[in-house]
Amino acid sequence: MDSSNKMSTLERGSSKHPNDETIISFENVDYSHPNGTAALKHVSLSVSRGELVAILGTNGAGKSTLVRHINALLKPTHGRVAVFGTDTKETTSATLSRKVGIVFQNANNQLFSDSVRSEIQFGLKNFGFSQALIDERTRWALDTFGLQQYADRPPMELSGGEKKRLCNALVLAWEPEILILDEPTVGQDSEQKEKLIEMIRTLQNQSRTVIVVTHDVEFIWPLQPRTVLMTAGKIIADGSAAEVFGSVEKMKEASVLLPQLVELFNSMRIAQYPANVFQAADQISQLAIGGT
Amino acid sequence: MQWIASGFLFVRGYSLIHRMDPRIRLFLAATLFIVGLLSQSVVELSVLIALCFVISLVAQIAKRFSKSLVFVGGLSFVVFLISVFLSHQSVTAGIINGLRLFEVIQATSIFFLTTTPDELEQVMRWFRLPIDFIMVFVIAVRFVPVLLMDAIQIMDAQRSRGLEFEKGSLIQRLKNTIPLLVPLIAVAVTRSLDLAEAMDARAYGALRRPSSMYVLAMRASDYASLLCFALGGALGLYIAFFLKLF
Repeated sequence: MDSSNKMSTLERGSSKHPNDETIISFENVDYSHPNGTAALKHVSLSVSRGELVAILGTNGAGKSTLVRHINALLKPTHGRVAVFGTDTKETTSATLSRKVGIVFQNANNQLFSDSVRSEIQFGLKNFGFSQALIDERTRWALDTFGLQQYADRPPMELSGGEKKRLCNALVLAWEPEILILDEPTVGQDSEQKEKLIEMIRTLQNQSRTVIVVTHDVEFIWPLQPRTVLMTAGKIIADGSAAEVFGSVEKMKEASVLLPQLVELFNSMRIAQYPANVFQAADQISQLAIGGT
Repeated sequence: MQWIASGFLFVRGYSLIHRMDPRIRLFLAATLFIVGLLSQSVVELSVLIALCFVISLVAQIAKRFSKSLVFVGGLSFVVFLISVFLSHQSVTAGIINGLRLFEVIQATSIFFLTTTPDELEQVMRWFRLPIDFIMVFVIAVRFVPVLLMDAIQIMDAQRSRGLEFEKGSLIQRLKNTIPLLVPLIAVAVTRSLDLAEAMDARAYGALRRPSSMYVLAMRASDYASLLCFALGGALGLYIAFFLKLF
């Protein structure tokens, strides 16, 4: 892989989705917190319908601040953020959230109802769904996320993993066109992570736009998303997973560790990275056969 | 909410005021508070308010200090209206009541904006207050910004579920606070239990009077400041009691 070519495509954002219908666009966005700390600096980014985007970076890189602009929870200090063509400065987060669902990192910050069922219904009622539709979507969410047996229990009594599932369920219940998962793997065991990957793949098949904010590179690597790398409030790389993870200098600059498979293939000086262990086994066995 | 809290949350700084012994800072704030409380003159209260602004400039906290004053100014105006229209006092008395409230909040704000929770603890120890009381107070002060951040995150989460806190009648707005308050209380309780366990694990309560890493020590500049503030306070009280200013 030619390193110089790779860098230039990375910086301009080479991996645009073939649909090419831009539904999120950041135009030279700056954002400063009320205490004056600059959290985003000259960020430009566009996301097409149906894309799966991973936003990577260490703590304090500006990942969560970036996605909070997408449903107008934060408004840019300078520049423009447009979602489905609407400038976020001209709308409210409550309005935009009908199309942009965010699953926040901390489940305890979202749950307040006396039952799992009413927790799911809360958002649907706020968005003005009819009673029949509320019942239907609640049933769907309870079934899909395996929460039927907890339907009448208080959400606070659920385990950490169940709470996280409930948070996914209560957002997907209103079928937002864009789903943002903010650090979805924090506090999750490997089984839950597998289920999350399944859920993201299902949403991809439905042509939904999914944005995952994470620093868990092992979780995101098998999904092979378009990858946006951030550090100190800036986007320093934007491209396919292989391009971004293959750029060792950029990964070092962002202080993000490489996935183990990438490390392994880098140490073998092979630039064609496998997405999972099965592909890795195939590639290695082919190499072994070729070598004998 | 952030505006109100910003007037009382410590701002790290290295100004003349920050470098003073915290007991002197407390004395300064207490002097301003007491003189303001006893003053019956619009002129004297105005001078005290101006003095508070000057102190905030010297302490380099003017920006944060001014933020909370929008709310305090509104509150003072309400006090003025209550004094004039409900208590049927004169307009001058109403102005004095409003200015007095404004000034005493300013004085309190100066102390809290320039005093770290650690310094607060040392001052309370110096007053020989019970150690459990000190710990509860200091933890409460430390947790204000943490709870504020939690509240912001919870509000963001609920807004993302279509909730509009500012919409509807007064009753509806009160109802809208339930999705904020329930998780906030739950998070606060969980956090306090975690903290209690962590403190137990670090032998909190093993000694009746645990030692302290820092010991308060007055310097020559602190004694000079104390003298200045004492003279200023005495002058303020003299004016309040013996001079009939407007």
